[in-house]
Amino acid sequence: MIKALRLNAADNVATLLEDAGKGETVLVISEQNETLGELELLQAIPFGNKVALRPMKPEDHLIKGGVAVGKAIKPVPQGQLAHVQNIRSLNLDIPEVMINEIITQMEIEVD
Amino acid sequence: MQTFRGYQREDGSVGIRNLIMVIAADECAEGIARAISEKTPGTVVVTNYNTCMYGGNEEMIGTMINAATNPNIAGALVINMGCGSITPDLVAGPIRATGRPVETLTCIKESGTVSTIREGLKRIAKIVEHANATPMVDAPISKLLVGIKCGGSDTSSGIASNPSVGLAADKLIDMGASAVAGELLELLGCEHILKERAVTLEVSEKINQLISDEEKRWHVEGTQVETMSVGNSIGGLTTIEEKSLGALAKTGTKPIQDILRINATKLEKPEAPGMYMSETTMLCGGSAMHFAALGCQVILWTTGGAGFNNPIVPVIRVSGNSQLINEDIDIDATGVMRGEDSLENVSEQILKTLEGVINGEKTAIEDFGYAYCSLIQKDQRVERLLSIPAE
Repeated sequence: MIKALRLNAADNVATLLEDAGKGETVLVISEQNETLGELELLQAIPFGNKVALRPMKPEDHLIKGGVAVGKAIKPVPQGQLAHVQNIRSLNLDIPEVMINEIITQMEIEVD
Repeated sequence: MQTFRGYQREDGSVGIRNLIMVIAADECAEGIARAISEKTPGTVVVTNYNTCMYGGNEEMIGTMINAATNPNIAGALVINMGCGSITPDLVAGPIRATGRPVETLTCIKESGTVSTIREGLKRIAKIVEHANATPMVDAPISKLLVGIKCGGSDTSSGIASNPSVGLAADKLIDMGASAVAGELLELLGCEHILKERAVTLEVSEKINQLISDEEKRWHVEGTQVETMSVGNSIGGLTTIEEKSLGALAKTGTKPIQDILRINATKLEKPEAPGMYMSETTMLCGGSAMHFAALGCQVILWTTGGAGFNNPIVPVIRVSGNSQLINEDIDIDATGVMRGEDSLENVSEQILKTLEGVINGEKTAIEDFGYAYCSLIQKDQRVERLLSIPAE
């Protein structure tokens, strides 16, 4: 089963360790390689990208490595890709034109 | 790892290598320096690439002088052409003051290039003799300063190699060694974490000031200087904070004793054991020379597959990227990315390799090929135009 790594107990996202397809179930593991549970992906998520472990509301912080590194700009359901289409920086945003380019190049399914 | 076997220098420092620096104090002396070095094993050429004037080049010359007093350096030969304002003694004086043997040569006073090379070979032989007589000692680990840097970062850096190095750094600090990181632009968004780790409010304010100065240098209205690329985001990094956080992970969790300045008027060094931040540049070649100048004997380097190497300070390379890892990499952290290895285990491998390297074992590509010894020179005029304080 494809694995997703949660770096810190406080995190609400895990990082995919391989490319995974829509509807696929992934195994969530801790940084100490303990099994934490299984999760069904709502969309395809490529290697190195993050899946939401819990639902987020707009303005909720994205927590990775125990630290807030962004905030949701729309509801993010559990199992969805948490990335530039639904998350923004807390300090210094990527320009919109670049965000659109990233979404296009990654073929992110945007609802 | 309580001690390491190294070379006892006259100033009390202990090196893990026993090298001689051949300094071209101006760009015209580069060929002479290289000709002497090519015939003398165990020597490293460092060149002032940027004119023979001193005014405006103080920072670079300062880095050069301090690199020559790195614990891994036994002595130096300083050469200049002789028509500029950087005299050999200006460079040699502070190096000699540390007790290291230093010889100086001025080409136009030696009847030219060929004579200077001939005389240089005679002079450097005396320094080699001195270096070979350097006593070996079992030094306490408190004499060790480790540089920590990432280069060619990708998704695996923030998850595998950087946290592994961070964990190794924490263990080194617990053993009584010191470590220093830099790359202040890549700490944007991490100020609140650094504030909690700074030992005093003064250090915290100094960190914020220097990060803000670095942001001014890189974010200049109307210029197209990248801090985060589309490639970073396709690789999975969503925000600058996430990228910075990955970069910060390599510094571990220990209290930050100080942030060391590197500029035209000063080059601060650690005064007590512990974890330090610094103005070491994020640009690879120059960063290794900054680490050399700060007194680091060894560097821990996280990367994808980049075989970064420096001739003065041995570099231990760590990669977690299974697509890029190659024979240049000393530590394989790819198991973490497959969910098959732990950060704890990789950090132990790092410490084991480090222990070997600080006791004389070669790194994967030591002696094979090195990056240029780039010397960073911030332009005083640009600094002033950007209202960055000079002191």
